Amino acid sequence: MKGRPETVRAVEVSDLTKLFGDFRAVDHISFAVERGEILGFLGPNGAGKTITIKMILGLLKPSGGRISILGLDARKSREDIKKETGYMSQQFSLYPLLTVRENVEFFGGISGLGRAEIRGRQEALAGQLPDGLLRLPVRNLPPGLRQKVALFVSLLADPELVFLDEPTSGVDPEARRAFWHTIYGLRERGKTILVTTHNLDEAEYADRILVIHQGRIVLEGDPRSLLETRKADSVEQLFREAIRSHATT
Amino acid sequence: MRRLRAVMAKEFFHLLRDPRSLSVVFIMPLVQIFIFGYAISFDLENIPMAVIDLDHSEPSARLIRDFERSTVFALKPLSGARREGNFEAADRALRAGRVKQVLVIPAGFAGQIRQGRTAEVGLIIDGSDSNVANRIYQYDQMIIQRFAAGLKGLEDFFQVKTKVYFNPESRSVFFFVPGLVAVILLMISAMLTASSIARERELGSVELLFISPLRSGEIILGKTLPYVLVALATGSFILFFSHFWFGVPLRGSLLVLLLFALLFVLTGLSFGVLISTLAPSQRVAMLGSVLATLLPSIMLSGFIFPLDSLSAPLRALSEIIPATHFLRIIRGVAIKGADLRHFLKEGASLAGLSLIALSLAVLRFTRLRRARR
Amino acid sequence: MRLLYLVKKEILEIVRQRELLVLLFLAPLIQIIILGYVITTDIKNVPVEVVNLSNSRAASEITARLRASPLFRVVKLSEKPEKAEDVLRRGEVRALIEFRDSPGRGRWAWTLPEVYILMDGIDANSSQIAAGYVNGIIKDYLQEKLRRAGLPMPVEAKTLIRYNPRLRSINTMGPGIVALLLTILSVFTTAFSFVREREQHTMDTLLMSRLRPMEIFVGKAMPAVLIGLLDMVLGIGVVILWFHIPLRGSVLYLFLASLLYLAAILSYALIISTVVVNQSQAMFFSWFSLVLFLLLSGFLTPLESIWARAPALAVLTEINPLRYLIKIIREIFLKGNGPAFFWRDLLALGGIAVVLTSLSLLNFRRFISK
Repeated sequence: MKGRPETVRAVEVSDLTKLFGDFRAVDHISFAVERGEILGFLGPNGAGKTITIKMILGLLKPSGGRISILGLDARKSREDIKKETGYMSQQFSLYPLLTVRENVEFFGGISGLGRAEIRGRQEALAGQLPDGLLRLPVRNLPPGLRQKVALFVSLLADPELVFLDEPTSGVDPEARRAFWHTIYGLRERGKTILVTTHNLDEAEYADRILVIHQGRIVLEGDPRSLLETRKADSVEQLFREAIRSHATT
Repeated sequence: MRRLRAVMAKEFFHLLRDPRSLSVVFIMPLVQIFIFGYAISFDLENIPMAVIDLDHSEPSARLIRDFERSTVFALKPLSGARREGNFEAADRALRAGRVKQVLVIPAGFAGQIRQGRTAEVGLIIDGSDSNVANRIYQYDQMIIQRFAAGLKGLEDFFQVKTKVYFNPESRSVFFFVPGLVAVILLMISAMLTASSIARERELGSVELLFISPLRSGEIILGKTLPYVLVALATGSFILFFSHFWFGVPLRGSLLVLLLFALLFVLTGLSFGVLISTLAPSQRVAMLGSVLATLLPSIMLSGFIFPLDSLSAPLRALSEIIPATHFLRIIRGVAIKGADLRHFLKEGASLAGLSLIALSLAVLRFTRLRRARR
Repeated sequence: MRLLYLVKKEILEIVRQRELLVLLFLAPLIQIIILGYVITTDIKNVPVEVVNLSNSRAASEITARLRASPLFRVVKLSEKPEKAEDVLRRGEVRALIEFRDSPGRGRWAWTLPEVYILMDGIDANSSQIAAGYVNGIIKDYLQEKLRRAGLPMPVEAKTLIRYNPRLRSINTMGPGIVALLLTILSVFTTAFSFVREREQHTMDTLLMSRLRPMEIFVGKAMPAVLIGLLDMVLGIGVVILWFHIPLRGSVLYLFLASLLYLAAILSYALIISTVVVNQSQAMFFSWFSLVLFLLLSGFLTPLESIWARAPALAVLTEINPLRYLIKIIREIFLKGNGPAFFWRDLLALGGIAVVLTSLSLLNFRRFISK
């Protein structure tokens, strides 16, 4: 897939809908994610962010619409797509009772890495963490380190697309800055990153933002130019205005 | 008071969130009662047996007919007798479980009777189910005794007359319903409580409870009261249903019964809270409460297995199981209609155990809370 | 194989929880031992009251035998009439045995009293067996008297008990207890593990990985099967060594039957876990399934009786995997039967296992691709 033409978009979503009974959780949204960009997915809780991500990842079946990932139909080519996607779920999804080393072994193994590769990864992680941390059970790690490990684990198969669902919740600002530093590093390596957050000040870190409210996209674009054109002081203000105008329509 | 109600309300909504939960809680015990009422009985019926009659006389035919006429046994032909011979066929049938006993009437049976000697018959019983084998043996003895007495014209020579009180049709459901009620009460109060609190611990939301201004007792009360109500409602429902459908008697004061049920539920709750403070995860809490409260209450309470036959140490163990006393009270007061005065000891034991369990639970909970601070 | 990583992770998670280990291995063994002593359905020590209103020697002699018998515990001996109903209500005795003088029977040299057994019908089982014992004691007494008077009983039965000559109930119940405990463990732990996983969002990660649904299914089920087999081995070991239950048949078929049974029961638990919404429901479903399996398995009451009383319900016994396991276990342990005798049961067990496993796999697929 690395030899793909540059014109293919990382993610293309058209007319995506998800219904739960009569309730429209996601209502005919369309958007695209370019390769090599960092997209910030914003919105209040319950707006439909996580559901959209889950549909893109194939964890939920859409009620309508089309999704294509790296040019492939999401429904038909799931196995191929899986090879190129990494996912860090909202609650870090590491196994608390297992050690860091064992978590890496597990996730590496189920991603299809060989034993030598896994060992290599374990050593790489050991280099990035304070000494001796590899043998600690994950539940004994502070949230900042846990998040670091969770990110590492989601990248084990070196996927091109990385989906991070609320990766910085419960993490102190220092660790948060370090985290975004890592994300930029990923972008340098040519990865595409989709981040959901309800932390609006993090929006400025992203290349582009997408704001979802009640299942619809209410704002889209480069945060800096949006701030200029709309004469807003902060993303939060942009956000509130967008929601207000959406609610009234 | 309002804060207490808030805790209760949240617990209630969690419980009622799914109508499926409630229907499960009510319908499943009903299904059980049906099975107990219709399918389970202590009387044996339709037990297959085979006969090898080597005498072919009038008395032997009469003996066989006596066995046939009893509802306990069902005579089956011995297949393959001609091919293998009688005894091989009988052995095969016993081993395969097609018959549970074989009656052998030897040649000369009628002759011996005529000569006034003791005629012997043989009975081969499959002992692999010892309980059934025991009962079969007793029924055999009864049938043969009656046959023998008949021969000498001594039918009412020595009849033991029996009279059954409280349960004239000997319906097993009368015996089991109290136990079922106790089990339901226990399940709801102990297991649900344990899992609910353990769940909060797992999710971490128990911290919120810990730092709230409520006292430990209030927290426990608030979280468990909805279960108490559900437990009592279900228990009463089962009792009434068995009364109206199966005719299980319901005597004595219902209010008193409710009081004891409440005490019993309280013990269950306390155990549930205790287990939840000890268990690190919901899974462990569940398993723990099953093994620590449910199983002993079923085994050692007199629910199914009689306590009289237990050895002294086990009988002592059964006395500290709340269900034991609760069952005695229900059976005595509710079904037999005895006077409460005779069950004060049980009532006091129940109350005592309840108090001890409750204090232990509150103590553990408070200590846990203090440790977190 | 990727699958093995999942199995290893599952095992690690279990092993890291010490309490869980205790509950999965130690507690069941203790329970088996306790149960073994409790489930002696040999009724003995039945508390009774003897009311002797007769002047006959027979009455006092029979009373003496009652008191001497380990089957009874004569709580009270009275020579005044008692109101049976009140006495029975108090619950201290299961039955009253009353001797009354009968209107003269001219035939015999000694007068025989009339014997009344007034039973508590609530504990019908104990009372009836007690009545049977009384009958037995009286019959023995009579036979002795008759023999001494030169009037032997015309017919006597010589009874031969096969496979369990001393009628030890532990022989009957022991292996069944292991099966029972195994069932309880399997159903409860499995029914919860999937629900828990769902509630913990980690299922998403598994689904996102390269693992196929089938692999996830097997990977999660495998540790449960291993635990089950281990418990089975330990349990049977305990039951044989502690209680001296004979094992006369093939251990191989015992394992085969256990394996099939585990597959069936675990699949059943998995189906429950995907059908229910939360853990409380899982618990209730598990519990009631257990009771149903148990009651309709032939473990407590013989299947023939159930057929006679409620054929509609008895049909359920045909699809109850526990029923087949109990039958096979009893035959292997006590009768030493080979597959020639129980191949049909084995086949039925296998069939049920296949059906349930497929159902749970299908269900699992449906459940994860919502």
